[in-house]
Amino acid sequence: MSVRTSSARKNSTASRSSRRRTVSTILVLFVVVSVFLVRLVDIQVVQADSLTADSVGNRSVGQVVYGSRGEILDANGVVLASTVMRYNITMSPVNATPFTRTVDGKKVEISVADAAAEIGAATGQTGDAILLTISTALEANAKANFAYIAQKVDVDVLRAVQDLHIPWTYSENSPSRVYPNGAVAGNILGYLSGEGVPQAGLESGQDACLASTNGSETYEKGADGVRIPGSSVTGSEAVDGGDVITTIDSDLNWFVQQTLAARAQETGAAWATAVVQDAKTGKLLAVADYPSVDPNNVGGTENPEDRGSRAFTQSFEPGSTLKALTAASVLDAGVATLDTGVVAPYRYLPANGANINDSHAHADQRMTLTGVLIDSSNTGMSKFGEMLTNQKRYDYLKAFGVGTATESGFPREDSGILHPVEEWDNQTSYATMFGQGLTTTALQVSSIYQTIANDGVRMPVQLVEGCRQADGTITNVPETTGTRVLSEKAANETSDVLEMVYQNSWVSSIWEIPGYRVAAKTGTAQMPDGKGGYSSGYLVSVSGFAPADDPQYVVSVSIADPVKLNTSAAPAPVFQEIMSQVLKKYRAVPSGATAPDLPSTW
Amino acid sequence: MSDNLARVSFAVDEAEFETPAPAHRGFRLVSSAPNHRARPRIFYAFTAVAGVAAIIVAQLLLSVGISQGAYEISSLQSSQAELGRTAASVNEDLVRVSSPQSLAANAEGLGMVSNSNPVYLRLSDGAVLGAPASASGSQAGAASLVPNALLAGSEPLTQAPAAAKASAGAVAITSAPVVPAGLAAPTTR
Repeated sequence: MSVRTSSARKNSTASRSSRRRTVSTILVLFVVVSVFLVRLVDIQVVQADSLTADSVGNRSVGQVVYGSRGEILDANGVVLASTVMRYNITMSPVNATPFTRTVDGKKVEISVADAAAEIGAATGQTGDAILLTISTALEANAKANFAYIAQKVDVDVLRAVQDLHIPWTYSENSPSRVYPNGAVAGNILGYLSGEGVPQAGLESGQDACLASTNGSETYEKGADGVRIPGSSVTGSEAVDGGDVITTIDSDLNWFVQQTLAARAQETGAAWATAVVQDAKTGKLLAVADYPSVDPNNVGGTENPEDRGSRAFTQSFEPGSTLKALTAASVLDAGVATLDTGVVAPYRYLPANGANINDSHAHADQRMTLTGVLIDSSNTGMSKFGEMLTNQKRYDYLKAFGVGTATESGFPREDSGILHPVEEWDNQTSYATMFGQGLTTTALQVSSIYQTIANDGVRMPVQLVEGCRQADGTITNVPETTGTRVLSEKAANETSDVLEMVYQNSWVSSIWEIPGYRVAAKTGTAQMPDGKGGYSSGYLVSVSGFAPADDPQYVVSVSIADPVKLNTSAAPAPVFQEIMSQVLKKYRAVPSGATAPDLPSTW
Repeated sequence: MSDNLARVSFAVDEAEFETPAPAHRGFRLVSSAPNHRARPRIFYAFTAVAGVAAIIVAQLLLSVGISQGAYEISSLQSSQAELGRTAASVNEDLVRVSSPQSLAANAEGLGMVSNSNPVYLRLSDGAVLGAPASASGSQAGAASLVPNALLAGSEPLTQAPAAAKASAGAVAITSAPVVPAGLAAPTTR
């Protein structure tokens, strides 16, 4: 009985302990499973996104896909500005340690100094300079992992450095702007800052067309650096900029700049501009500035004012070249004809109290309009000009584009100064007849002559043909509708008068182009001294067009303060050379027709 | 016609109505276990395993192929990039030497002068348009006043390259003595 009891107790104890074991095992299992479950949910659900991102981050490489800034082209498609890829050579200073290189099957230890010397030989620096870069970077931050060795180097330098196989050097892309023709049209093109921000000229004015948008791309790579196929993900597409097509002819622009600079240096000028314009379309074929800037080396032009284009941004009192405008106005209004005569004294004191005199003393002269322009007589011009009311002359000046910036769209273009007629004082009323008391840019003067040359129709001044998009369409095409300013008869009569000036002016032997009929006028204007008066310097200029019987090209040359020769004999040879080159380049064949012969006296 | 059709369709309808409905068949018990189970044959197992193996091998080969292709693409892409860089760099050189400054300097270096006095010969009547004058070389000798930083370090030519000279000489020799004696000089009217 007791045995049974004890056995039963034993049995019951055994079964109880076995149940406890089972229960505890299940409990332990349950705990373990739930720990795993929690972890599983945590990894697969709670942290899933961030872990995936981390894993992709560890494997994937993001890179910028550079969109290419558009090109600036001349009228013939010659590239004036383009984007090229340059490279920055970088390194990891903290990892700059000696390494082994296999040379002819033997392992050679290369010290940091040797490596630096090798890099320096490739980049054109000294080895010491590179060692200094390393030590400077490490001083600033003992764990410095990035420093530039050289920036914006070309592919030859990049390859030379890559061929050294120095493990702590790297490279990165750095798109840059080059101007293959250097300073040719450099003043118009403008330039970019080191960071690629447009600073001046067309680069700035046409940025909306030129600007590109960078894209991004990520891909995954294996341990050996090879891109895993199909892993590329384009974040955003790179968009290339459009190309700006200008009306400039780069070869002609070079010639004009060269000729202008030679004369400006010879005469000791402060600055000079020359404009070549198509008489029929108003397109600018060449715009030259002296001093000129090479956009590849902007720092080489020290004076910041020389980096822009004065042809667009500098207005001045044009002087006698504006007499052509007054003559055209008088003829167009019909208040005088080519036979009308005036008496031009040395000094003329009109009833309104003004005081006009000529540049040199002379007895009273009986002159026609032709004679007045040949002699460039201020008093004679005043007597013709006063045949029109001030308001009427103001309207003509406005119609010719004086006082309004041209349509070229050049950034920060000067409008010149043309005061409202109510503000004209006695002297200004007369001074505006012969180009003082108002200011114009070289471009506006050129536009006045274009109007006369084009049978009295003023065409918008055009510098840009348009923006060529990637698909070949041209957008932003400027308006090309002309406005009639003069009657055809008045324009042609003015042209005949200017041809007489060309033949009989005191500089006619200097600006003669054999075989061609040319119309031109000189100007010698006093320059403001910046204090409300006039300085001793003169702005001398010549504007004209050819062939006079069917005008096709307008050339306007202005030279400011040529200290060694302050008369229009300074710009006259430049006009002659540029006009000859233009006529030759564009095959303008002389007609052989005889020039008009108008009376200059009566 | 339409009469006939109507009659036929009526007859068909009648025939359908006269057909008696089929009698329902009783359900019959089917033993739950099949009488003899088809024993799986080793052939099927082998086929399945072989199929799986084949798929695995094919997949393995495919992925080897793809990754081999990836290496090839990667190397071709890098050589394409390198060639693109070379092309861009050579093109840059070409554009640079085509610049007006470079052309003018080289032309002057070779002794050329520009004649700024154009004259035209009209073929229709032989008229000479313009006033002929010899070239003064107004631009000759003038240093370039239009700088181009890209041309730094490149020297203009002062004489034609030897190869060009040699070929020019060869042309001169071959083209010299060809006019047969006694041929009347052409008269131009």
